[in-house]
Amino acid sequence: MRASSPHPEGSCSVRDPDFPNATSGNAGQPEGVPHPVRLAFREISRARLRFMLLAGAAGLLVFLILFQSTLLTTLLSFFSGALETQSGQVVVYSDEARKNPEGSVIPPATVDQVAAVRGVAEAGPFGIGTMTARAGGKELDVALLGYELGGPGAPTRLVTGRLPRTDGEGVASDIDASRGFAIGDTVTIIGPDGKYPITIVGLSEKARFSVQPGVFVSYPTFEAASKVKNPDAIAILPSMVVANPDPGVSPATVADRINRQVAGVQALDRATAVTSLPGVAAVTTSFNIIQGLAFIVVTLVVGIFFVILTVQKAAALTLLRAIGAGTGELVRSLLVQVLAVMIAAIGVGAFFLLVASLASGSSFPISFDPVMVLTRGAVIIVLALLASLAAIRRVLKIDPIAATVPAGIDL
Amino acid sequence: MRLALRELRRSRRKFVPTMAALALLVVLLLLLGGLLDGLFLGSTGALRSQQSELAVYSDSARDSVIRSRIDLATRATIEGVPGVASTNGLGVALVGTRVPGETTIADTAVIGYEGAVNGVPDPPPPGQAWADRSLKADGVSEGDVLKVGPTRIPVTVKGFVSDTNFLQQGALWVEPDTWRTILDQSRPGAAVDPGVFQTVWVQVEPGADPATVAKAIDAATGTTTTLTRQEAVLAIPGIKEQKSTFTQIIGVTFFVSGLVVALFFALLTLERTAMLGVLKAVGASSRQLVTTLATQTVVVTVIAYVIGAVIAVALSLVAPADVPLTITASRAVFVAVGVLVAALVGGAISLRRIIRIDPASAIGTGT
Repeated sequence: MRASSPHPEGSCSVRDPDFPNATSGNAGQPEGVPHPVRLAFREISRARLRFMLLAGAAGLLVFLILFQSTLLTTLLSFFSGALETQSGQVVVYSDEARKNPEGSVIPPATVDQVAAVRGVAEAGPFGIGTMTARAGGKELDVALLGYELGGPGAPTRLVTGRLPRTDGEGVASDIDASRGFAIGDTVTIIGPDGKYPITIVGLSEKARFSVQPGVFVSYPTFEAASKVKNPDAIAILPSMVVANPDPGVSPATVADRINRQVAGVQALDRATAVTSLPGVAAVTTSFNIIQGLAFIVVTLVVGIFFVILTVQKAAALTLLRAIGAGTGELVRSLLVQVLAVMIAAIGVGAFFLLVASLASGSSFPISFDPVMVLTRGAVIIVLALLASLAAIRRVLKIDPIAATVPAGIDL
Repeated sequence: MRLALRELRRSRRKFVPTMAALALLVVLLLLLGGLLDGLFLGSTGALRSQQSELAVYSDSARDSVIRSRIDLATRATIEGVPGVASTNGLGVALVGTRVPGETTIADTAVIGYEGAVNGVPDPPPPGQAWADRSLKADGVSEGDVLKVGPTRIPVTVKGFVSDTNFLQQGALWVEPDTWRTILDQSRPGAAVDPGVFQTVWVQVEPGADPATVAKAIDAATGTTTTLTRQEAVLAIPGIKEQKSTFTQIIGVTFFVSGLVVALFFALLTLERTAMLGVLKAVGASSRQLVTTLATQTVVVTVIAYVIGAVIAVALSLVAPADVPLTITASRAVFVAVGVLVAALVGGAISLRRIIRIDPASAIGTGT
């Protein structure tokens, strides 16, 4: 048995008394058949709640996608900000470290060997260590970043204050200012047998490392704090060498030369070093999976919704076909509705992102990036149009003759 | 039930999209769960395998094994606390290791220990190690002389142990002095004095309450933080965050599964409204129709699960060795039950429509 003419449910636009008059101005339209755009919007206006619910649901999913994209950008800057914004364009690890700064130890002689490589303008030691500190009355983990004052490795995004001029001074990440890292605050490194105070003299953008508050200090300060952290330490060695190339020489070229000429090291240009950090790859993969899932859900929800809608109004569409509407017109009307719903959904998602960005605090800033909204929005619209293919297939299968046959009778 | 199965057989094509979408979601759920389990098991094996109930860290380490130091005097104090039966020192050095015949450096966790580790024999002689079986993927074999750390300290593999890794790095279990030598030479900034361990593990006396003993230890030393084994496992950096992130992704995926089933069955019910009306008109009860829908949901979900599980297991077998993917039996059962529940809840959304079908519509439709 085939139900060739299902009972019409929900909105049924052909009963609209306006329709017979809708042909005026619609060149090429059969009499009584409205223009596809008008048909689409008239149906939307008659079933506002249904379309608003879909646009709202899809809008929330769009918000999820936009929010996750923004969150990923912020989180990645928390993981790698300090390495990304320090001034050394070339980063040199020990080869055992496998691109992990906290697993790298560089013998002091290696700094001079790197400095001697052709094309290296300046090179210096750089230390990274996670330490326990007291700041703002609380104990917490901090990432101490030690560089030679005046050499490569200094923070480049100073927003207020100044760079350290002497030992015992530090530049902290601006978003941690309210946690006891404001200019003039003292951050105390705590060890089993002693303490080491650091006075904050400047604040820098993107200075976090491994999601911990970062503090840039002089290399001797890093050494002294590391000794407090572990009084048994035999020697405090640099975690890596940071270098800058001569003018006109690319960081990648210099890194390549260092790898060939200096034994036991792995040199990378700064951008590669940032994307190779252990946490960065894991976070990016996790977020990509969630985002992929969200894209699939948007596609499925929109696709199935419009199939259901098409099935529900099959009788009305059959009648429209019977009075002369072409399948192209019905398909165009469907596509206009998909487009309208998705544009509304993107608007809803963008609005929520804007609200979230305005409501976000300085410790976890959420930015509103219009370019990201537009690019993600374009992808979502393309996916939604693809998802509507199932509904289009149903429209194309409508046979006008079914309008003349009662329900339950097989043709 | 017969009606449900007959319709499934006769109209296979109708159910294929639901089945395919659900099978894909099962693959995703099993791979996500497998990744979570692989990351957890691969990061925590060294601590999970401890026989002792309590782990003692120095206060300033903030529960980090690597940053903690327990000196001889503190250990003596711990051993004097009532309820403490015995103590075992434990220390870790995360270093690169060269494997004979291999060009790639293996990530290893050299673990110095004194004993009381499930599945790991007593400490081997100096210069030898029990290697975790996962290191076989890096080319490690029994009898190999590994070169550990930047100073390439030779360590001979005496045999293999299982599920004992730390922070995704292959474990090499060595006696304490071998560990101290490797730590001193590879990480001079993290070196420890003779007799010092990073953490001390405590076995409590029979009948003693571990939580009470933990408090007594911290009160006696004044410089330590004592955690239960489970707390110590969760204190490993990144473990809590990994668990919560993956749990959220898995939760969202279950929700999506329910949504997909709900939408597909809503569509199927809508398409069959006239037929269901006829069935009601000839005497079928709402309960029979609901049973039909539930049966179809269960059958579609079970078939989708089997297809998805086969694909997921096949993918896990061909995944590169460095992808920490472990599909456990408990995870497979969890996903099966979760998907079935999500599908039944999703399918139940169509029940209202089925119950509301008026048998008279079978007569009046289209007139």
